[in-house]
Amino acid sequence: MLEIVILGRGGQGAQTAGNQLAKALFARGQFVQTFSTYGGARRGTPVTASLRADKNPIRLRCDITSANAMLCFDDSLLNEGFLATGADDALIVVNSAQPPDAFKAFGNRRIIPIDGREIARRNNMGKVVNSALLGAFVALVGQPDIETMCAIIKDTAPAKVSENIAACREAYGLAASQLEVS
Amino acid sequence: MNAPIRNENLQLLNGNHAVAWGVRLASPDVAPLYPITPQTPILEKLIDFKSADLLGTEILTPESEHSAMAAAVAASATGARVFSATSSQGLLLMHELLHYAAGSRLPIVLFNVNRTPAAPWGFWPDQIDSLSQRDTGWVQLYSETPQESLDTVIQAFRIAEASELPVMVNHDAFYVSHAVEPVSVPDQGAVELYLPKVDRSMWLDTDIGRAIGAPIGQDGWNRTRREMDAAMQTIVGLTKDAGKAWGEMSGRPYAPLELYRCDDAEVVFVTMGSMAGTAREAVDRLRESGVAAGLVKVRLFRPMPMADLHAALADIPCALVLDRNYSPGVGGVLHQELMAGFYGAENAPRIFGFLTGVGGTNVPVEMLEKLAVDYRQAKQNNNPIWVE
Repeated sequence: MLEIVILGRGGQGAQTAGNQLAKALFARGQFVQTFSTYGGARRGTPVTASLRADKNPIRLRCDITSANAMLCFDDSLLNEGFLATGADDALIVVNSAQPPDAFKAFGNRRIIPIDGREIARRNNMGKVVNSALLGAFVALVGQPDIETMCAIIKDTAPAKVSENIAACREAYGLAASQLEVS
Repeated sequence: MNAPIRNENLQLLNGNHAVAWGVRLASPDVAPLYPITPQTPILEKLIDFKSADLLGTEILTPESEHSAMAAAVAASATGARVFSATSSQGLLLMHELLHYAAGSRLPIVLFNVNRTPAAPWGFWPDQIDSLSQRDTGWVQLYSETPQESLDTVIQAFRIAEASELPVMVNHDAFYVSHAVEPVSVPDQGAVELYLPKVDRSMWLDTDIGRAIGAPIGQDGWNRTRREMDAAMQTIVGLTKDAGKAWGEMSGRPYAPLELYRCDDAEVVFVTMGSMAGTAREAVDRLRESGVAAGLVKVRLFRPMPMADLHAALADIPCALVLDRNYSPGVGGVLHQELMAGFYGAENAPRIFGFLTGVGGTNVPVEMLEKLAVDYRQAKQNNNPIWVE
């Protein structure tokens, strides 16, 4: 079973990203379950989206405590509490302009910064980073494939469809090349 | 668990949107609704359907849940099919009218999303909101999955209209209400055949002088409760019939209890709602490690299908009740119900009551596995046990 945790601030699109990722994995034939938890529905407060994908129907109804992959929308939210919900070898993609060395304080974890904000800006997406982060995430996790991810974004993006897809593809390319280097 | 089959025409829906789909298919005449986290997506989806001309229901949006249930009572008294939805504080504000609806024998279907009541303020899955309404005269069903919530809300109308008792269906906040999953949406025509409109024995009509709920003497009031008792006695059978007919129509049968790997079990979990899913996983892992575990999922809580529970637990030495609720000064409500129901019974299992996930705390598979290993041979202990 693939278990993913996404952390963002209310309004950043973490829940939407979880739903889009679930749709893409579902389109590739997997059973999926994604749920979010939040306190009051306010912009700016932390929002967690959890996602499970498996070849069999998913029965678990509890929190994810050992995620295989994690996506963090805001490097100011990256802390030990969040990281503790991932496995020791979990792949952690974080939206950050900082270099990988900046995350050394978190020890020997696989933290990969992706400058989603810059990619979004270049693609006329303003501060909306979720499509860029999904592109990078798909490249690093290895599933679902980028064509399925882009097809789902095309179906579900509320506006700026071509810009969203361009941001997704650019981040995918950047992350894939980063993977080759490492 | 009635998982949808992968090659069906499935939609990805969260639990609340699955409920809205069930309501759309059941096509009530009136739905008074008031928003509250985490129920609001039910209301939003119904209004989406209404705006797109896909729902004939008259949606009312009064100023509070108390008024929503008052409107539901009035609409239902005219013979209309009525739906409402709420959660936590909203259900508690409806409390007075819950008695009114049941006492008036109105077959309203109410969907409640189980959430912690204040204080302190919270939004987390916990069933004490609906369990504390167990004496109001409403039938109560608990759902484990979005698919079951869609299927059950339609069955609820059939049970309500056959018994002339109101039915409350519940699912847990977030783990079910906000869980997006593949859901099979049945065909509208099939649901219409499953759920034909039925005439009521009594309704308000401006052409006929009648009153409902007017002052009455002691004997008359007493008789209303005897009649409700007789109606309650039909609910287990009606729930079985509704679940069986649903199975014939959709391929997903339901019953008041769901038994999972209980044959030859030495220890079973007994629980309601979302935790049944995690317990199922724990049962499989325990079986693999050589512990003969099973699960009894209580789907119908009020009235409690006690004869079925006695049959289910007849040869099982140990039952571990998992309560995601806490009745202060008592313990877990399901635990108390089982203790009372098995009092004096021959060959009753040892029954343990665990307070797991109260306030929405996480209940992982490993916690349940450990409980089974630690308690399967323990001596009877009537006290509730807090689990961390």
